[in-house]
Amino acid sequence: MERQKALRRRKILTVAGTVTGIVAMIGVVAGAVPFYRWFCQASGYGGTPKRVPGLVSSGPKAAAPTLTVRFDANIGKDLPWSFTPAQGQTEVRPGESVLAVYIARNMASVPVTGTATFNVTPAKAGPYFNKIACFCFREQTLAPGEEVAMPVTFVVDPAIATDPTTSELTTLTLSYTFFRSPGSDAGS
Amino acid sequence: MSAHAAEQDHRPAGWRRWLLSTNHKDIGTLYLVLSVTAGVVGAAISFLIRAELQQPGMQFLENQEQFYNVLVTAHGVIMVFFVVMPALIGGFGNWFVPLMIGAPDMAFPRLNNISFWLLAAALVLLVASANIDQGPGTGWTVYPPLSTSGHPGAGVDFAILALHLAGASSVLGAINFITTILNMRAPNLTMMRLPLFVWSMLLTSLLLVLAIPILAGALTMLLTDRNFGTTFFNPAGGGDPVFYQHLFWFFGHPEVYIMILPAFGIVSHVVATFSRKPIFGHKGMIYAMMAIAVIGFMVWAHHMFTVGMNVTGRVYFTAATLVIAVPTGVKIFSWIATLWGGSIQLRVPLLWALGFIFLFTVGGVTGVVLANGGLSVALHDSYYVVAHFHYVLSLGAVFAMFAGFYYWIGKMTGRPYPEGLGRLHFWLTFIGVNLTFFPMHFMGLAGMQRRVPDYPDAFAGWNQVASTGAWISVASVLVFLVVLWRIFSARERVAANPWGEGATTLEWTVPSPAPFHTFTHQPVIEASPAPHWLNDGA
Repeated sequence: MERQKALRRRKILTVAGTVTGIVAMIGVVAGAVPFYRWFCQASGYGGTPKRVPGLVSSGPKAAAPTLTVRFDANIGKDLPWSFTPAQGQTEVRPGESVLAVYIARNMASVPVTGTATFNVTPAKAGPYFNKIACFCFREQTLAPGEEVAMPVTFVVDPAIATDPTTSELTTLTLSYTFFRSPGSDAGS
Repeated sequence: MSAHAAEQDHRPAGWRRWLLSTNHKDIGTLYLVLSVTAGVVGAAISFLIRAELQQPGMQFLENQEQFYNVLVTAHGVIMVFFVVMPALIGGFGNWFVPLMIGAPDMAFPRLNNISFWLLAAALVLLVASANIDQGPGTGWTVYPPLSTSGHPGAGVDFAILALHLAGASSVLGAINFITTILNMRAPNLTMMRLPLFVWSMLLTSLLLVLAIPILAGALTMLLTDRNFGTTFFNPAGGGDPVFYQHLFWFFGHPEVYIMILPAFGIVSHVVATFSRKPIFGHKGMIYAMMAIAVIGFMVWAHHMFTVGMNVTGRVYFTAATLVIAVPTGVKIFSWIATLWGGSIQLRVPLLWALGFIFLFTVGGVTGVVLANGGLSVALHDSYYVVAHFHYVLSLGAVFAMFAGFYYWIGKMTGRPYPEGLGRLHFWLTFIGVNLTFFPMHFMGLAGMQRRVPDYPDAFAGWNQVASTGAWISVASVLVFLVVLWRIFSARERVAANPWGEGATTLEWTVPSPAPFHTFTHQPVIEASPAPHWLNDGA
């Protein structure tokens, strides 16, 4: 009997340990959602430009060669907007803070809310592309027929020229895609 | 003795014996029956795929490209979750883990029953999913956005729920195995003395416990993205489809070791038995399996080199993946070293085990090729990848399943298998699958893409060869059905240990067929000398 009891206790302990492992892994998968978002934004991984709202530009590095930055604009299929960059391409000196503008216009007869996602190609330039201010940091709502200029301020980190994996780059493309914000039913 | 034996053989009658079963051998049998049944279905689907690909152009799926992908998905999910895992883990695991450790049954017999019937329900859901709306044409990986905005029909929801149930079944089974192995071993059967099949089941169960919750989480997010407006994997709401790939493969790579570790265990037993030698390097084999299990969690992104990973990421995942070849090499080496100088009996189980070693090594070599990020970008989603994972799983795991089948069928049924038909079965399968899958290396290197029901004329020749191999495999499946019929209609009975002095583990000490109840009294294992399956005095 004493042995039976001891065996029972050991079994319960093993199950408790195993279930703890299962619960811990459920915690891992739940925590992975915020972790993944934080990791991509903090590291610039996969072409996610870094968000640094408080960054003060160190001023242009005279020695660094200029880079061409191209601007790309796309819209999701169910967003009734037009969305285009206001400028073609811009010569940018690493370290200098640059202002670029996109023009968005709501073609629908009702207010529509959209959110922009963004990335930089080639993806390896992501860690060096710092956004100080951007319309994409929050949702944008446009009244019917409203047209707005959407500014973005960014700095290309001068270290891009010294990193051996990125030093050969001469052209970066900043790309935005505007989607209708999920959950905002305005206009639908 | 006879009264005692009769009592040991007391069992419920009729449907209650199976539906309400709490007996590890009956539940193991149920798993094996489910696996063979699902295996015939999964194989039939693969023959449909090969028939479509036999010639360039569309054969019988004209304007049904979605249905082709539904077939591919069903084939993958059925083979992984309803053939390989039920046979190796639920089937042989339930049958032989308690027998090998001298336990009367699993730790939680009723939990064992639930595990099986959850899996049966999952199989029903999965088969139903293929017939609902346009079916899941997503591949077994169920990547968004194809699985979310690309499949509005409810078929994908059914497939997701099927995977959820199969996962729950596996996790419950894993809890049972871990508790059984850690607590119910015969006295003096220390952990390092455990037979390798038991070790492989323990490690597989640990992998299941750690990996399945990740799959469950990813699938739940997919389900809410599809049905409840969340945006975990939808960029429009700040999500990222690549995030799903990370989660899926964080489960998916350990999953391939979940499938292959029990195969390693079976092959170790078969090789040792028919060499009439203890396995070479018992401890080394255990540590190699541990290393494979641990590293298996650190290499997931080699399945997704094409997502735009940076150089550092590709370097890490390439190097970490290559490391797996080391413990795997230890295992291959130890099997060969066990054969070396052994008194070899080339019986049918050993044929399958040798086939496993050869085919798994071929698949391992292409694995080393694919581990390289630079090459993998070029070969991604090509038939080279299809060839690789069929060599390690379709040929590797399945050959180990047949090795286990022929090795243990006498113990399970008390009847001998037909030796000549068994050999015919082996050679037909070996020739058929090699003809099918070896040319896929060439097709893949030449650029043929997977999951597409058509291809340029340039690939016609090798596809013809591959389909011919598939028809030979059809013949081998028919031979296997004849083998089953011959076994179950046999009048002869086999001895408790039909293999002689090479078969040393505890399942060979009980009669054949194994009585309904075994080891109601714990078997005696001496502290010294060491059990016969060890050669190093552990």
